[in-house]
Amino acid sequence: MTTPHLSAQSYRETAVRNNQASLPLQIALVTWRNLVTIFRTPTALIPPLVISIFFLVIYESTLGKAAGFIPNLSGNSYLGFILPLSIVSSSLSGSGIAAQNLVRDIESGYFDKLLLTPVSRTALLLGPILAGALILGIQASVVISVAMLLGLQSATGFAGLAAVVGLAILLGTGFAGFTVSAALGSGSAAATQGASFLFFPLTFLTASFVPLELLDGWLQTAAKLNPITYVLEAMRGLLNTGWDSTALLQGVAACLILGVAMYALAVYALRVRTRRS
Amino acid sequence: MSNREIVVENLGKEYPGGVTAVNDVSFQVKSGQIFGFLGPNGAGKSTTIKILTTLALPSRGQARVGGFNVVDEAEQVRRIAGVALQEIGIDPLMKSMELLTMQGQLFGASRKDATARAHELLELVRLEDAADRRVGTYSGGMRRRLDLALALVHKPEILFLDEPTTGLDPASRRDVWEEVRRLNRELGMTIFLTTQYLEEADELAEVVAIIDQGEIAVEGSPARLKASVGTESINLAFDSRETAETAVSHLNDMADNIQTDRDMVRLYMSEAAQTIPAVVNRLQQANLSPISLTLTQPTLDDVFLQVTGQRLQTEAAKPQAA
Repeated sequence: MTTPHLSAQSYRETAVRNNQASLPLQIALVTWRNLVTIFRTPTALIPPLVISIFFLVIYESTLGKAAGFIPNLSGNSYLGFILPLSIVSSSLSGSGIAAQNLVRDIESGYFDKLLLTPVSRTALLLGPILAGALILGIQASVVISVAMLLGLQSATGFAGLAAVVGLAILLGTGFAGFTVSAALGSGSAAATQGASFLFFPLTFLTASFVPLELLDGWLQTAAKLNPITYVLEAMRGLLNTGWDSTALLQGVAACLILGVAMYALAVYALRVRTRRS
Repeated sequence: MSNREIVVENLGKEYPGGVTAVNDVSFQVKSGQIFGFLGPNGAGKSTTIKILTTLALPSRGQARVGGFNVVDEAEQVRRIAGVALQEIGIDPLMKSMELLTMQGQLFGASRKDATARAHELLELVRLEDAADRRVGTYSGGMRRRLDLALALVHKPEILFLDEPTTGLDPASRRDVWEEVRRLNRELGMTIFLTTQYLEEADELAEVVAIIDQGEIAVEGSPARLKASVGTESINLAFDSRETAETAVSHLNDMADNIQTDRDMVRLYMSEAAQTIPAVVNRLQQANLSPISLTLTQPTLDDVFLQVTGQRLQTEAAKPQAA
């Protein structure tokens, strides 16, 4: 067996163990690691994207022509009205990416290995979430590109489209906090997958296909409590009517409230998981 | 010279639900020693190693690793201890170079230093050629070696290996043994290893402790433990049953007990090795020449059987069972 010579002396001289990576570097490292694994399993990325585009095309084809009969439809195109729904559902399904990565690490034992390094808990949480957020941004951009091919005209131009992507990322990151909590709490891939579906009905308890004012009484109440409603309204405003700071602020606020609450839940779930018992 | 000892005093661990995994365990591992921790499945091996590596808290007693308390000084323990757990925690989608570099950076090395260290370790465990392959394509032996390299990234002074060769083929097992010996010899690393292979403990460990039902049943050097049980025997084979019987008549007074089985003669006695010349002399005087002469010594397996009342399974232990 030929092996390099490691003298005890040089070994100690080069010891690194009194140092620690700075928090931003730790976060960057863990995020990078998550991105690498995401891009090495591209098959996991395709289905949510395909489904979002499929819905976009189907909704536009079935309801697009009837849009003229729907009163109060702000602006001019149904495509601009329905596109946000497609983007929001891709944010929802895409929010599972962070959790799937995390649960894979828990199942493989790599998570324990990371816990034995001086890595901070913040980095362990933010790494997968930020990696997932980047993917969400890419997904939203692809869906928007397809909509443009279908003839979408943004009322606020390119800047508005960028704002729509930003909202999609914010919303998806909030949901990711929830699925990550499920991953940490259960440590099981199946349970994590199940948790991702919990939010699915939220995309229908809102002004999915027609404006808010046309919804039935109970559904309108539910929609008004649903944060997704405000995100949809903000996106629709950007695409169909123009810059509306109130709608935009409400959309951002809805994302932030959801995000902060879910991140707190994730911090708690991580604390429970890493509690030595 | 830094403190590389492991001191365990009256350690106990109950899991929620009242299951006692470790009852009352005390032992001491000296600086630079290889310490073998043996036990059947469920005896408390893995729980002990989890407590010592700060992944679990003890219910009672205390443990110090390199002078640091595993409860209050977990952070320090993690910095001086390297751990390769039984479940190999490696992300199969990553490449070994990436894993090693990232681990080094998390421990505070610059990217350049972490890369250099990764190369060094890959060479050490002979995985340079596989450095840029995904870990998922590795064989079991290669994964173990990578896991060992990952445990060494931060240059630990004390290394914990939980069943480092379980599931490996004999050649890979010997590679790991060689590596463990070298780390111990060249770097003075204290090595705590659990194993269910008695041969492994016998090969590597200076001191062996056998844990059974949450308590240390026996502790000592393999040679001393073996000497404490069973007796040695000199085994002679002759060309015929008659010759064997003649031989027995000449050797009658030399053994505590003699067994004859066709042309085989077994002489049971203590200090058999030292008695071989006398036996050979006696046979020569009687003009008898055996076809073969072998010496049988008690194995750690005999020790284990006597102490725990069972043979050690050679099947791979399930992590949750231990």
